[in-house]
Amino acid sequence: MIVMHIDVNSAFLSWTAAYEQQQGIDRDIRKVASVIGGNEQNRHGIVLARSILAKKFKIQTGMSLMEARRQCPNLLVVPPDYQVYVRASKTLREYLYKFTPDVEVFSIDECFLRFTDLNKEEALSLACKIKEDVKNIFGYTINIGISKNKLLAKMAGNFEKPDKCHTCFPEEIKEKLWPLPVEDLFMVGRKTKVKLNRWGIYTIGDLAKTDPNLLFKSIGVYGHMIYAYANGIDGSIFKASPPIKSVGNSSTLKFDVIDTEIAHAIILSLVEMTAWRLREAEMMCKVVSVGIKDKDFNYISRQKKLPYFTDCTKDIYKNICALFDKNWDSRPIRQLGVSVSGLEFAKFQQLSMLKDKNLLKNEKLDKVIDSIREKYGDTAVIRGIFANSELSPILGGYPDDEYPGMSSIL
Amino acid sequence: MKILNEPIKVMVIFHPNKGLESGKIEPVKFRLEDQVVRIQKIQKIYEENIIGNKRIVFVCQHNGKDIYELKYETDSKTWYLFKK
Ligand SMILES: [Mg+2]
Repeated sequence: MIVMHIDVNSAFLSWTAAYEQQQGIDRDIRKVASVIGGNEQNRHGIVLARSILAKKFKIQTGMSLMEARRQCPNLLVVPPDYQVYVRASKTLREYLYKFTPDVEVFSIDECFLRFTDLNKEEALSLACKIKEDVKNIFGYTINIGISKNKLLAKMAGNFEKPDKCHTCFPEEIKEKLWPLPVEDLFMVGRKTKVKLNRWGIYTIGDLAKTDPNLLFKSIGVYGHMIYAYANGIDGSIFKASPPIKSVGNSSTLKFDVIDTEIAHAIILSLVEMTAWRLREAEMMCKVVSVGIKDKDFNYISRQKKLPYFTDCTKDIYKNICALFDKNWDSRPIRQLGVSVSGLEFAKFQQLSMLKDKNLLKNEKLDKVIDSIREKYGDTAVIRGIFANSELSPILGGYPDDEYPGMSSIL
Repeated sequence: MKILNEPIKVMVIFHPNKGLESGKIEPVKFRLEDQVVRIQKIQKIYEENIIGNKRIVFVCQHNGKDIYELKYETDSKTWYLFKK
């Protein structure tokens, strides 16, 4: 079996750059110090992607734009265009299905391909062809990592960027994986790095040769997991479609919210985007959830299972509000999040008698609104509640979907 | 040639899916400022699919020498004068 990991190089930045070139805009944001970043007027102003030159200025993804500008005063900041990204991601996936039906989506710009009928040489030459084709057809570069399992393929994909194909087969681990710093290993974060360094573990090789029982004693099952990863062992199964497990949006608010009505309005704006993306994916959901973080950073999240599948904004909104009302303790809110899961392709959806009578009408309305928004922009149609208010009608949009594999298990 | 990427009004023949010109899209003339530009000859047709945004590209000739590049964006159903 061969597994390939496909990763778009600085996805948001590459996609915006390619889009700008298609529009005939006379600049290439890939060639200057630039970042894709949100609106600076509110707390959303963070770096979502950076160019290679911006990286040289030590600009990190997730850093505030203010901080990024401090590192590089001439930094070019370009706002994100999620519609472009969702389409780019979707077309790339559709293209990859030409080579194998086994495509597992890992995030908006990463996926795994599985092949059962290729040897190593064939795999490498196919990967090079895919990489070149994507560049020629779609206008951006990708990295492809090739191995026998997802973990090693993902590690290989990270070796050297951009526009490269790498292999990391089990027999190459010693030479290619072990010399790397331990924090380069999948699932080893900054905190773990500090701990491991304290124990004298600096490279992936050091970790691979540690006594797993000692790791288990100090950091539990997680210790076993990263020990296995360091040795190139990944017991996970390949999960081809449905690609998305949940869709959600959350937003840090410009002010602390203490009022139910405002909270509902924010929920509506989050649901608008979430439901739109759900419909874009041609899926419906059965579970809705809400997450509330108060100003002291206490966080709760609650979910509710519906007796039917839906992709209707109003329906999702109504249920999430009910959930919110039941669980909010009136403490000032700093951050609100909504998400939907229990997804199923819309075409498999059964009509249920439990849906309320207005629902079918609302579904039609949503589809009309979606098409107007796509044509004239997100703010073309604003629900009455937002007119003349300070709240932005569609909040979020950052792809924080919990894709399979974003969790600790590949 | 200059890149404009300007949305324009175009008169187009959409050929039906049968016969010699099956499925062909044929721009006939378009409006540029106050002038109507008649397309004499289509030199080349091809598709581009940058980041999945499909555009059909028509390299057109006018007056025997002027070259215009028109693009039809399928998602937005919009015609652009891309280059002239
Ligand atoms: Mg990437």
